[in-house]
Amino acid sequence: MRNMSQLAKDIFKYGRVKDCPVYDMHGHMGSHYGIHFPTKSAEKTVKSMQAANVQKLIFSHHGSLMMRDGNSLSLKEARKFPGLLKVYCTINPNFPEVTEKDLAAFDEARHVYVGIKLLAAYHKKPITDDGYKKAWEFANKRKLFALVHTWGDNNMNGPEQIDEVARKYPDCKIFMGHSCHGEWDKAVLLANKYKNVYLELTAVPDERGPMEKFIEKAGSKKILFGTDMPWFSYHNYIGAVLGAVRKEEDLRNIFYLNAKKLLGEIGQL
Amino acid sequence: MKIKFFDANAYIGTQMLGVYKSAATAAELLEKMDEVEIEKALVYHMAQFDYSPEEGNKMLVETMAGNKRLFGCWTLLPPQTEEVIADNFFTQMKKNRIFALNLFPVHHRFLLNGVVFGEFFKELIKRKIPLVLSMREGGATWEMLYSLLKEFPNLTCILTDLSIWGVDRYTFPLLEKYEKVYLESGVLSLHEGSFEMTVKKFGAKRLVFGTGFPEKYQEASMLHLLHSNISKTDKQKIAAGNMEKLLSEVKL
Repeated sequence: MRNMSQLAKDIFKYGRVKDCPVYDMHGHMGSHYGIHFPTKSAEKTVKSMQAANVQKLIFSHHGSLMMRDGNSLSLKEARKFPGLLKVYCTINPNFPEVTEKDLAAFDEARHVYVGIKLLAAYHKKPITDDGYKKAWEFANKRKLFALVHTWGDNNMNGPEQIDEVARKYPDCKIFMGHSCHGEWDKAVLLANKYKNVYLELTAVPDERGPMEKFIEKAGSKKILFGTDMPWFSYHNYIGAVLGAVRKEEDLRNIFYLNAKKLLGEIGQL
Repeated sequence: MKIKFFDANAYIGTQMLGVYKSAATAAELLEKMDEVEIEKALVYHMAQFDYSPEEGNKMLVETMAGNKRLFGCWTLLPPQTEEVIADNFFTQMKKNRIFALNLFPVHHRFLLNGVVFGEFFKELIKRKIPLVLSMREGGATWEMLYSLLKEFPNLTCILTDLSIWGVDRYTFPLLEKYEKVYLESGVLSLHEGSFEMTVKKFGAKRLVFGTGFPEKYQEASMLHLLHSNISKTDKQKIAAGNMEKLLSEVKL
C-alpha cells in the first residue's frame, strides 16, 4: 500500500489496531421494511464492532424511526452492552405526546441517552417545525448531541434548515448526518461557520472526493465517523476513510479523538 | 498468505459530469492499481456508457494497448443495428483482449430479451463469455434481469454496482435458481453481514471481487474482503480466483 501512513498499513494488515479505536456516531439496529439486514441484534452488532475495534456505537433503533413510540427498543438493546452502546432519542414531530413522554423520561435513561435524533425527510416536517421545538430546547439547555439526518437539495433537513437551528441552539452539538449529502460545499460552510456543527460521514464514503474536500476545507477536527450500522459495514467504511485520508493525525481525529472529546463534554465517555 | 486481487469492476475515463481523480488512460488506472496492489482488472471505458458504445469500445482497445494486466469488456447494442455486433465480432474480441461484454439497456434504450439477443446470447452461452450487468441507474433493472434469466438460464452473468440499499431480497432468489449468476463484491461489501451470509448460503464461488473505481474507494472493498469472516481459501477465490477461472473458460 503505497502513500499510506503506518497506522493505515497496520489497519490493513490486522483489521484493527489497539491504540486506534473507532467511535461510530451514527448507527441503527433491528430489521427494516426495505432491506434485509443479517446483523440486527445488539449481540451481532457488538461482534461486528469488536472485529474492527469499534468501542462505541451511538444508535437509534429502526423501530424508533419508522413507527410510533419506539425509543424503548433502542434502550432495551443498549442496556445489554451499556459501555459500548449509547442511544439517540428519536423525535418524531407527528406524535408530540410521545416526544413529551420521552423527554420526561430522558433522565431515567441518562446513562444511555446522549441526545436526540431527527429524521425529518421521512417524518415530513422540517427540523425547524414547531413539532421539534421542545426537543431542541431540551437538547440545547443540556448541551446534548443532535444527530440530524441531512441531505442536499432538501427543504426538510437541508443546509438552510441546519443554518437556522445551529444559530438558534448554539449549545446543542449538531451532527449533520450524511453531511448534507450532495451539497458538500454548503456542509463545509456550516461546519466552519458554527462551532457546534459537525460533518458526519455516513453515506459520504460512497463516492470518492467529498471526504478529501472536508479534510482540506473544514479540517479533521470537525469530522465524525459514522456508518449507519448495519446499513454499512465497518471494514468497508474504515477502508474508504483510509483511501481518502493520508495523515495519521487526521485519521485519529476522525476515528475516535473528536468523538471522545464530545462524549467527555457531556459526561458520557 | 498474501491475497492477490483481480478487480472485476473498474472503468477508464470519466463521466460527463466528472468523477474525482478518475483514470483518464489505462496507464493511469494501472498506476492507481499499483498503489493499492491490485494485480489485474476487467475494465471498460466510461465513453461506452455515456457517449457511444460504438466509439467507446474502440477507445477502450486503444488505451488498453494490449496490456496483459487488463481484460477488456465491450458494451453491446442490439445485433440488428450492426453498430457493435458485426462480422468477425468474436475474432475481434480475441484480437483486442476483450473477455467479457456488458450492456446498459435503460440508458441505451433497448430491450433485454430473446427477441433482441436470442441467437447472440446462445453463442455467448456456448463460448462461456460472461455478460456483465450493471445495476446502476441506466443499467439493467431487476425485472429485466429476472426475465432474461428465465429465457437464458445458462447465461453467465456478473451483477455489478449493486444498490446502496441492500439487495439480498433480489439476489438470493437468483443465486438459488441460476448457478451461473455471480455477484461483484464492491457495493455488496458495504452491508454489514450480507457478504458473509451470501458466502455461507451459496458458496464463495458465486462472488467476484470488485471496487467500482473510480467512483468508489478501492481500499473499501479490499479492507472488507481481507477482514471478512470467511476462510482464507474463500477470500482468495473471491479476490481473484473466481474471476480468473471464469475468464480462462472463455472460448474466442
